[in-house]
Amino acid sequence: MSAARDYPPPPDVIRGRVAWVFGDDFDIDLVIGVENIKSYDADFLRSKVMRAYDPGFADRVQPGDVIVGGRNFGYGHPHYPPMVALRDLGIAAVIAESFSPGFWRGETYNGVPLITVPGIATAVTTGDAIALDWRAATVDLGDGRVLHGTPPSARVVRVIEAGGSLKLLLAEHART
Amino acid sequence: MGHTIAEKILARAAGRDSVRAGESLPVRPDYMIAYDFPGYTDVMFRQMHDDFGIRELDEPGRYVVFIDHMLTKGNDKEQQVHQVTRDWCEFYGIELHEARGIGHQVMAELGYALPGNFLIHFDGHISGAGAFGALGWGVRRDLLEAWVSGQIFLDVPATTRFELTGEFAPGVDSRDLVHQIIADHGADGCAHQVMEYAGPGARAMSIDRRQGLCGMAMFTGAVSAVFEPDEAALAYARRVARTGFTPQQPDADADYVAVHSYDLSQVRPRVVLPGSARAANTRDAAELAGTPVTKAFIGSCASGRIEDIRAAALVLDGRQVAPGVELNVVPTSEAVHRQAEEEGLFDVLRAAGAKIARSSCDFCFGYQKPLQDGENCISTGVLNISGRMGSTQANIYLGSAFTVAASAVAGAISSAEEVSRS
Repeated sequence: MSAARDYPPPPDVIRGRVAWVFGDDFDIDLVIGVENIKSYDADFLRSKVMRAYDPGFADRVQPGDVIVGGRNFGYGHPHYPPMVALRDLGIAAVIAESFSPGFWRGETYNGVPLITVPGIATAVTTGDAIALDWRAATVDLGDGRVLHGTPPSARVVRVIEAGGSLKLLLAEHART
Repeated sequence: MGHTIAEKILARAAGRDSVRAGESLPVRPDYMIAYDFPGYTDVMFRQMHDDFGIRELDEPGRYVVFIDHMLTKGNDKEQQVHQVTRDWCEFYGIELHEARGIGHQVMAELGYALPGNFLIHFDGHISGAGAFGALGWGVRRDLLEAWVSGQIFLDVPATTRFELTGEFAPGVDSRDLVHQIIADHGADGCAHQVMEYAGPGARAMSIDRRQGLCGMAMFTGAVSAVFEPDEAALAYARRVARTGFTPQQPDADADYVAVHSYDLSQVRPRVVLPGSARAANTRDAAELAGTPVTKAFIGSCASGRIEDIRAAALVLDGRQVAPGVELNVVPTSEAVHRQAEEEGLFDVLRAAGAKIARSSCDFCFGYQKPLQDGENCISTGVLNISGRMGSTQANIYLGSAFTVAASAVAGAISSAEEVSRS
């Protein structure tokens, strides 16, 4: 778990494109394939990420892009490497109809904005440009429509602003 | 409006008169539990020491560590992981329980899972503590927050109540119930909530069955599950308690998201298709009858307790495991192992051709005797995703101990009802 790369906190408003839209109960392990979930090697994971969905994914994703999910995103026993791989490509946030609690907790710890926005999965398609204000949980679809979700708690905002829970805890509790 | 059990437990642990679902606040767990696993506990200990500069714990008695994984190969790598764990626990004065069985069971036997207690772990199956009226919450890496600060920020969960009546029919148990609940309400039917079990059916259910039911809570999206602590739970707790405890009961006018009723006598044997425990994968066992199996497994933190072994013995008594099938039975703890020997249950299982293994987590996550390509396994393990028990090209079906034992006899998926008729 220590090998995950260090990522800076996201900007206040994340501007990018929807890199992919997943369905309900999506098991994040499938992003890299179950046989690869124990690897933290970024280059190896890059060669596997999203191959089963879109072989061109790794080449077209740009920093600031987001992925979108349906209900219960991150269902299963989610492992960390798939999001390491996605973040390494520049994925800045996940917006979903709802999140599985274990996935939500684990990746929030890592500093990923995981924002619950009802209606998102049917409002966007791959390639759409969006602007996510992650503190307010609003998604501007650029065509006059703005979706409103559930803003993260004050504590979660602090975790994301710090670049992850470990950094926040070090600032709060380190005795050295 | 009154309060749920979860709200009352978290209020006490937070030092507040009351809390409401939806509030975000720091809470002080009674116990902060982990098992040693590479990349988790070893890293967390190193972070505490090197990064946080923590040389001494304020309250070492609130930390508990189990060695229950990787006990079976005896190679250098696993010995190193265990030694690192022993060294760190000694350094910090943390109570370490090694090779006594699966921690989620041993924590109950050793008196940590007491009514009204709040327990956290990085592993979500700690929810099994709910059998005793305790609240167990799997917080993943946020365990580090509690380990370095003594508290953890939580959003107080809402609760869905399950009113249970009746009793399970022969050959049916709480594993069938949880898969029925998932089938009825979906894999996110209780998302971010606590499942509160109550009613005459809950009181009639054995402690073992309650532990198995609560331990599977995460597959409904719940963060935990809890039974109203009744006389059976309190009697168990009094026998093992290492501290005082404060049982919590819900108020009659507690605020629930939903209330669902289940008549346990109507629950049928369920089998879950390989892939995951989601609703669409749940089937009546009879629908899958005839699906061949080569491996059968009774064990795990959900289903290897004495009631499960009794169930297997009931089915296997006077019968034989089918040729070409290997049935492995792994008691959830050493104490369960001893009891099963004393009751003569293992004699029955061995006579039927079953193999009895030492208590550990190792079968359930594919470390011991991993499945090979193309194998079908019927399992009481907690998870049936691809690769969980070995090859990603093997198939794992989930069922109760009754169903696994019956399938082992038939050489194909079968319910205990079918076997008893044959």
